[in-house]
Amino acid sequence: MKGLLKVLSPFAPDQSGAVEALYEFGGLIVVCDAGGCTGNICGFDEPRWFKKKSAIFSAGLRDMDAILGRDDRLIAKLKAAVEGSGANFVAVIGTPVPAVIGTDFRALKRIGEKKAGLPFLTISTKGTGLYDEGEEDALLQLLKAFALDALPVEKGILGVLGATPLDLSSLSAAEKLTEAYRQKGWKDVRCYGMGSGLNAVRRASAAQQNLVVSPAGLKAARYLQKKFGTPFTVCCPLPHKLPCDFQSFHGKRVLIIHQQVFADTLRDSILQSTDADVTVASWFMMDNALRESQDLHFEGEKQFQAAAIRGGYDIILGDKMMERALPDYKGRWIDLPHFAVSGRLVP
Amino acid sequence: MAEAFYRTAAQLAYSGCDELPQEFQPDKHLIYSSPATLAFNSPGAQGFGVKRAGLAIPGSVMLLISPGCCGRNTAAPGPSGRYSGRMFYMLLDETDIVTGRHLSKIPGAVKEICEYCSEKPTAVMLCITCVDALLGTDMERVCRSAEEAAHVPVVPCYMYALTREGRHPPMATVRKAVYSLLKPMAKRADCMNIIGSFSPLSSGCELYRLFNKAGVRHIREISRCKSFGEYLNMAQANFNLVLNPESRLASGWMEKALRIPSIEISRMYQIDKIHNQYRLMAKALDIPWEDQQDYDAAQEEIARFREKHGGTVFAVGEIADADPFELSLALLRYGFCVSEIYGTINKINFWFLQKIAALSPDTRVYSNLSPTMLYYRPSTPQAGIAVGKDAAYYHPGCAHVMWCGEEQPFGYDGVRSLFKAFAKALEGVAK
Repeated sequence: MKGLLKVLSPFAPDQSGAVEALYEFGGLIVVCDAGGCTGNICGFDEPRWFKKKSAIFSAGLRDMDAILGRDDRLIAKLKAAVEGSGANFVAVIGTPVPAVIGTDFRALKRIGEKKAGLPFLTISTKGTGLYDEGEEDALLQLLKAFALDALPVEKGILGVLGATPLDLSSLSAAEKLTEAYRQKGWKDVRCYGMGSGLNAVRRASAAQQNLVVSPAGLKAARYLQKKFGTPFTVCCPLPHKLPCDFQSFHGKRVLIIHQQVFADTLRDSILQSTDADVTVASWFMMDNALRESQDLHFEGEKQFQAAAIRGGYDIILGDKMMERALPDYKGRWIDLPHFAVSGRLVP
Repeated sequence: MAEAFYRTAAQLAYSGCDELPQEFQPDKHLIYSSPATLAFNSPGAQGFGVKRAGLAIPGSVMLLISPGCCGRNTAAPGPSGRYSGRMFYMLLDETDIVTGRHLSKIPGAVKEICEYCSEKPTAVMLCITCVDALLGTDMERVCRSAEEAAHVPVVPCYMYALTREGRHPPMATVRKAVYSLLKPMAKRADCMNIIGSFSPLSSGCELYRLFNKAGVRHIREISRCKSFGEYLNMAQANFNLVLNPESRLASGWMEKALRIPSIEISRMYQIDKIHNQYRLMAKALDIPWEDQQDYDAAQEEIARFREKHGGTVFAVGEIADADPFELSLALLRYGFCVSEIYGTINKINFWFLQKIAALSPDTRVYSNLSPTMLYYRPSTPQAGIAVGKDAAYYHPGCAHVMWCGEEQPFGYDGVRSLFKAFAKALEGVAK
């Protein structure tokens, strides 16, 4: 049955992606829920939450708030929380509750900005989508709200888009990425969302180039290219050493399951040293411009099981949580943690 | 710089329970999200939430019918991870939410799950969330259809976070749900049930011994039932001992449907109150009850700790197996200091707060849920022991006693274990 998961458990949802994208920008983030969604986002999908404080709140909606659509109470609570907080902006994140009751996020933004005197980002996530959809929307809205001026381009500045722990499965990925690109000659690497704050976003137009490390950053990169003419490249340098030698892939059929940019980068690395037949697959968004003809997009457990077996792959690289859905798979499985899938960080 | 909002015990006691500042009224402000509030926002992420609790019936499986976001934390490697083979998900999309079409698919999904399981489940728990609460889904009817399709008992579990402060909050309804498969049986005078939690009482708890001594041979708890048959035998009980007020809905139903009366006692850390409670309970049940030895042992443990660590200052939180106000009052009455309490005030624990105000008027009381807790800094002098996960989060530098394990502490044994844990924590810091 479509939509039925018998072995796998749900992946990180859109609302988690939105919160992750905005986590480090000094905003006041309000999850428009009854409490449970906030608990799941923070307690499970945001590994920084246990180490790094951020102003995340639940709207604490109750049945009568939802039934009567008491947005005025939400605005009043928001206004009270904003006072004296020093927040840079307010972000209201949607969940299934506002999706069911049809909350007017545009009105919420307009009224909220007027009452609280701060920019409002309203991300109309519904809890039914996957993390990259929420991340994409939040990142784009953030840039639209704060990257306003066309500043002179400064040579040596590299902007990084689409980097969150959900995409990179590592808390130190931004540092490693920064270091790697400094060694390539970039003097200032600005990893938006992991390490670089709101000022870096305000000065996004000064970047010489942008680097997109996950599909969720593509829309933002295209927006910056259109608005400021900033070129971009797509690549996700591997955040960790793989427990395998690509030479052993020679002549093999290989399936890589991860977020598309990471998987593509890994495919390029494999093809540089072997003649393996590599297919990229993802449960998350796949950009057609990056996709090769044999690449796969998974939408359901059954389809995943059928495609993985039918493909006759000798090697599968993917989060080991997925392996249990393929009890009949006889090939070699190489673990590639994906935080959005299993909630595991790269060791 | 902004500061965390607090009131002293004296200020709160003076203002009265009906005139609490807005910061102590969760419906009046946003709910702050920090590791200290995780158990409030997402009970399933730590300990028991509806999902884990709903699987208390031996051999049961659960189908969570919701958008993907609601099932996300069940992939956690924590306590709920061990239930992964018993959890199934039916993910709703936007069309399902708008049209409610998913309801007609549920019987088929239940059937498919039963066929998939290597052993036929004893029951399928259908867990639904805020979406179906708002859609007004008649889940009882859906369960009946699913039962007909799969020939297995199907029970609804309502994970309605929206009704958390309502008359029947989710954790109360799930307590009723897990006993709902019991059928009336002949009563046995030597059988009783302990209901209230989803994990067993600490094995050392005096209740087992004292009830045995009073002639009760079978003390059943759902978490100790190894088979469905053993679970069904809970219907033989002569009475239920209720240890958590959230089980009143369940005990009320059992009284009506199974003719099992109940008696309720509370978890306390003041040993004289424990003694009184036991005395009244034994009187009501008309059973012999000799707890002096346990009382003395608890008192000795407290004295031993006091002798060694008499000046200890405590910070007491609510993410622990204790009411923070009752525990704080107990500590104050035993001669210790309590610098800070993190808790949610209600009509019942306000009574303890009034007593605290008389003994330690300057004790600071904070609400974990207040948005101002973002700016929290510990008061000086700093506490020596932080009790509870929330207090430990606020006081990273002192000795921690989380006091929220799987086995449930209760009675004199709970007091003894707690003071042993205090001593161990301080010794750990000293080392």
